[in-house]
This record gives sequence, C-alpha cells and structure tokens, in this order.
Amino acid sequence: MSLRLTDVGYRYAGTTVPVLTGVSLEVRRGQVVGLVGPNDAGKSTLCLVAAGLAPGSIGGSLEGSVLLDGRETRELRPHEAAQRCGILFQNPATQLSGTAPTVYEEIAFGPRNLGLSVAEIVGRVDGAVATLGIRGLVERDPHRLSGGESQLVALASVMAMRPAVLVLDEPTSQLDPAGTALVGRALARLATETSVAILIVEHKTDLLNGLADDIVVLDGGRVVAAGGASSLLAGDVLPAHGVRRPAAVSIRRALEAAGLGGRLTGGDGDILAGLAE
Amino acid sequence: MALPAFIGRRPTGAYRRLNPATKLVIAFATAAIAFAVREWTGPVTMLAVVLVTAGIARLGRPIVKFALATIPLVISILLVNTFLFPGATDVLARVGPFTATGTGLAAALQATLRVVAFALSVAVFSLTTPTDDLLSDLERRGLGRRTIFIIGSAIGTIPRMLERAREITDSQRARGLDTEGSVWRRIRGVVPLAGPMISGALSEVEERSMALEARGFSASARRTTLRTLPDSQTQLVARWLILVATATLIVASLTGLVHLP
Amino acid sequence: MNGDEAVRCEGLGFVYPDGTRALQAIDLRIEAGTRVAVIGQNGSGKSTLVRQFNGLLRPTEGEVWVQGRPAGRRHVAELAREVGLAFQNPDRQIFAGRVRTEVAFGPHNLGLAGPALAAAVDSAMAAVGLAAAADTNPYDLGFSRRKLLALASVIAMATPILVLDEPTTGQDARGIARMREVIDTLFGQGRTVIAISHDMAFVADTFERVIVMGAGRVLLDGTPAEVFAEKAWPTLRSTYLEPPLAARVGARLGVGSTPTEAALIEALDGAR
Repeated sequence: MSLRLTDVGYRYAGTTVPVLTGVSLEVRRGQVVGLVGPNDAGKSTLCLVAAGLAPGSIGGSLEGSVLLDGRETRELRPHEAAQRCGILFQNPATQLSGTAPTVYEEIAFGPRNLGLSVAEIVGRVDGAVATLGIRGLVERDPHRLSGGESQLVALASVMAMRPAVLVLDEPTSQLDPAGTALVGRALARLATETSVAILIVEHKTDLLNGLADDIVVLDGGRVVAAGGASSLLAGDVLPAHGVRRPAAVSIRRALEAAGLGGRLTGGDGDILAGLAE
Repeated sequence: MALPAFIGRRPTGAYRRLNPATKLVIAFATAAIAFAVREWTGPVTMLAVVLVTAGIARLGRPIVKFALATIPLVISILLVNTFLFPGATDVLARVGPFTATGTGLAAALQATLRVVAFALSVAVFSLTTPTDDLLSDLERRGLGRRTIFIIGSAIGTIPRMLERAREITDSQRARGLDTEGSVWRRIRGVVPLAGPMISGALSEVEERSMALEARGFSASARRTTLRTLPDSQTQLVARWLILVATATLIVASLTGLVHLP
Repeated sequence: MNGDEAVRCEGLGFVYPDGTRALQAIDLRIEAGTRVAVIGQNGSGKSTLVRQFNGLLRPTEGEVWVQGRPAGRRHVAELAREVGLAFQNPDRQIFAGRVRTEVAFGPHNLGLAGPALAAAVDSAMAAVGLAAAADTNPYDLGFSRRKLLALASVIAMATPILVLDEPTTGQDARGIARMREVIDTLFGQGRTVIAISHDMAFVADTFERVIVMGAGRVLLDGTPAEVFAEKAWPTLRSTYLEPPLAARVGARLGVGSTPTEAALIEALDGAR
C-alpha cells in the first residue's frame, strides 16, 4: 500500500480541540480514493497530514501512524516527504513557483531543487507533460494560463517529483466548467496510465463517479463511512453528511421513486451510463 | 534527451548579449561614480556613458519614458537647492521671500545630473536583463536558492498584491466605503482595507511555502542549472577592472587625492 | 414583479485599460423582483458586466440605468444603496473580529444607526442562519459560513437589487441548500437577485431567467427550459458549458426541455 493512516488524530498548534480523531484509511498503488464530507469536517487537514506537511511544516500534534510508502511521515524531512507524496491545492496561483518564465521550467522547478542531472530532469519533465497531455503549454508563460491550465501545470509539477501518492484538495473548486472538465480528464489519465495512489477531496461528486474506486466520508474529524464508490455514491450516507449525490445517481433515484425507473433503459442499454463521459 | 531549444535561447543585440553579471557591474559602477564622485566630472561622464549604452542597446523610447518619470523628483531638487542653499550669497533673483543663488543653482544642476544618471543606469540594466537571466546566472555562481527565490518571487508578488488590494477595495466600496469622497472618510477606510490585505497576504504566504516544500525546496542538494548564459574571459577581466577602477576613483575623489572639475 | 426595471443596459461595451475588450454591445433589461442567473466560461464578461451595475466599472460605450436612473458617474458608495454585491471570496472582505460587527459595516456606511442598524443586522444574520454566531470571530467559522457571512453583510444593506458572485463555489450541500433558501426569501421580499454561477443544476433549480455570456456578448437569454433546450446546446458548448444532466436525459428520452429533475419527472409522468 502507498498511503496508510492508522488511528490518526491531529490538533493544530496552539489549539486544544482535535481536528481529526481516530482516522484510518488506506490508498493502494493504482487506486483512487475520494474523500467527501461537509465543510470543516477536517478534509483539508487530512490532506496536510497525509502529505507529511502536518506536523512537518506547520507544526501541531499528531497521534497515530501515517505511512507514506512504508515510512512514517514524522520521520521524514519535508523534501523526503515531497518525493513520496505530492499535494495539489485549490488555488492555482499559490502553487506556481512564480519564478519560471516558461511552463517547462516551472515543471522542472522541483527536480532542479533535488539536484538531479539535466538528463534526468528532462526525462521527468517530458514524462509529466506526456502523461497530462500538455505539450502545447510548455513554452507558455505560467502567469498567463487559464485556471484549468494552471492546475494542470501544477499537477505536472507535482508529478515530476515522481511521488508514489498524490493528494488533491478540491482541485476544481475555483475552476469554471471547462477547467473542471480539463482537470477531470487529466486525473482519469493519471489513474489509468500511472500507478500513483490518489486521494482526492471533492464536493463535486460527479467527478468522483467513475474516477474513484473507494469513497471515505469524513464528518466532524472522524470517518463515518467508507466503502466501494458505486455503493456509497448511490446510498443514503452522503446526503446524511452534507454531501451532494452525483447528478446521475440523484436522477436515477428520483425516477425510480416516481415509478419511472424503467424509462432509463432503452434499446442501447442504460441511458445514464451512456451519457456519462 | 536534451533540453528543448527555447530553454537555451540567448538574448541578442549588442549590449544585451553581455553576461548579466557584466551588465550588473556596469550599472553598479556608473551609478556609484555618478553619485559618489565630487564635482561635475562624475555625473556628467556617467550620464554620457549611460546614454551611450542605451544607444548601443537601442533603448530610445523606454529610456525617454524613464527619464520623464524622474521629472517630479528633479523639479523638487532644483527648487530646493536653488532657493534654499544655505550660506550662498551670489543672488540671481528674488521670488517673494525666496532668493535664488548661483551656488544653489549649480548645486541643483549637479544633484539633478546625479539622480538622472543613477536612475537611467538602473533603467538600462533592467531593460536589458530579464530577471530570470540575472537570477539564473547568480545562482550558477553560487548564490543561495532562498535568496534567489526571495528576489524572484518578490518581483512576481507585486502584481498579485496589487490585484488583491484592488479586489479588497472593490469589496469594501461595494459596501458603501467611500473612496471617492473626503480625505477624512478615506482615512477611516484604512482598517477595512488593511485587515483582509494582511490576513490574505499571511495565509497566501503559508500556502505558498507549503507548496514550495512540496516541491523539495528545502532539499540540501546543489540546485541543477538548466540555463547557462555565455560569459567570457574578456568580460571577467573587464568586470574586475571596472570594479577596481570605480573603487579607486571614488576613494580618490572623496579623500581629495584627485581634484576633478 | 410590478413591471419596474431594476437594471437596463443599452449598447454597453467595456474595454480594459490594457486594451482587452470584455463587453460588446450588451442590450439587457432586468425586471425588478426577478431572479436572474448569468453563466458562461471564465473570461466571458460575467464579472465585468455585474460590476457595471454598482459603478465599480464604468462603460466605455453605451449606458447603464439602475432603477430607471442613469448610473452615470454616481459614486460607488451611492450606488451601493441600490445594488449590493457579494463577492466570490469572503476573505477579501471580512475584517471585523465579530460576525455582528462585520454585518453592521455596510448598513453603517449607508447611515443607519442605533435600533434601525441593530434591526437590519439581526434580520440579515437570521436570514443566513448565523444569528447564534453573532459574537463569534469570523475566522472561527468555516469557509461556507464565512461565505454566508459575506452575503449577510450585503443583505443587511437592504438594497432592492442584490448581485451574488459565485455563491455556491466551495460550498458543501448544506451551504448550497441554505443559499437557495436565502435567494428565495429575498425574492419573496420583492428584491431583484442576480447571480453568477458555474453550477448548472443550481442555476436551473433556483432562477427563472438565465443569461448566457460568451466572449463579451449575450449569447442566450431566457428561461432555464429555453436556455438548456437541445437546440441551444451548440451555443452553450461554444462558451464551454454543458447543460444539466436532467436536460440531457430529457432530450434523449424525447420529452422536451427538462432542465431540472422535477421537470424531467413531470414530463415523463405526463408522457406515460
């Protein structure tokens, strides 16, 4: 397994109330786990803990075990954690180094910091660019990209560190529908073409429908439900914890409740499945 | 596998082609001599040097814009020195309670030349040297990654800060904060503007530093250089000569060993 | 609701100082007391358009009328009495140490004081569900509730027209439901609500008129059923929008334009 949290509790520095309590979850290589829950459930904090940034960079007190590719995060220095786990935040602007004149050099920023050889850097950048399909962006000025493009560049920059685990904290929250679709497709490619373990926090459960293998529901700092994506997304747990169902699930349930479920299956199979991208 | 061609793109043009460190030394030398060497020779010759380099680098229009930008400062220097020079007795004219003196005017003109030469040498440097080139070169020479990053991102931060300031101002104006009315009202408006500005800046700094850590910024390895800007033995020697000459000239002038007109 | 106009634009055009054109030949009339959504990809001019309504931006061509009077060169502080604008990022606005103080800022600027001010503040906090948190520090509320706080600060100004910039971005399901309730309440009070949103389902469920923008122009303008109907899809796609899933299902099943779940069920029921 690539990421394993066991009975994790966390409190920010200078506070007495824990933000996370008894959290256990696991993301295996090649797996995508969606993390959902109401706002302030502790999802962002969980992302920082998984990436080793908490307590590593921001302090606070951690209980339990956080294993990144077999090593405890509390034993890793920040750049060692960075090579095992990449993290992507909501706001594209703060994730750019701001000092690279081209997208290519932006992606190279991380590998350069590690002192890798030029050949190795070129390999990593080319690899990230190919996986995310952004060859057309490499010469562009990172400050002049759309929101969606910026997130793709940030994603490529993180993937250039060759992490075993990737944590994404609401990556499409600030994006318009075009940007959201762009990032959604890029994540689907990452999931199928690489074996990176992905933990993604999203309110837009439509994005998780079809992308995530498993779903974990966090509320009040605790895991209140966990299981296979298709059953959890279709069930009653999500609305009970302030999470919207995917539109497809919601429509199916509404039609079935109105006795119209049969209308969804036509000559060419299930209509909703056909409409899903 | 090789770096793509656009990474190795070098600046072209007579003056721009020089290594950033060379251009930096030239800018430093002209600014320092313009300011520190006494009497007229320093500022006049350095202004000439700056204008010549601007000509070689074909910087006509931008340089004129920079020069125009110094006008407000120049006017205040002229006025203050011409009319308020202490102890001068060679009166040229009287304007109300103020007396213009010849000594004052001479001092004013000299000070003006210094300021303009200084400003234009900085201008020539920044117009001929992309920030990234300078930083890459300094980094290759061993300047620490934190320093490089601070300089580089400080420059980039400014537009973002301005953008954020504008958005905060717009939000508060939309709630009736009067920024178009009387001065007093505008002063009272500072708190609702400063609060979000500062807390936003702080939280952005925190998020940025986490993002940097996530890109291995604190690794101890020597950062790999991707771009090398051409340098030459000639330029290396020239830089040292210029620095030594500058230091000598300034010391000589300040200690009175050499008298220049 | 009474045929008065809230906002009108004629030949409205806007070019930014750096030369980028953001709005082109906009002719628009928004009736008082209606709920209108403005949608379109980023860069289509939505934010630029709504900022013309409260004077933060002034037209480079054409004119804007607010409540029947030209917006002209009236100060933003003055137009703020008629048009309230709640911004997308609450943290670019919140400065007070207590919720109550924050909400009071707007109405205080408009000249309210004493009991009238307290009443405006209390009623705004109650409308968004923050009455119990009146003495809390805004940064102890989570992001969703800070967004509601920013909204309350604008509601308290009791403007007849309210503009909401992306009210559901970053919100969880409860936050979105609460937003819908608030908008319905404001509508019930006869106020005009104009919202920019990326959430097509929210738009279809909450607003009776949808304006679609692309490249600085109005591309479509009508009810959700009209704007999300199949024949409008190519236009929607030109501004990188997708109709809500309910509309796509309805089109596939051939039951007409069904922008919401409820409309889909009704249409299928009717076609039984």
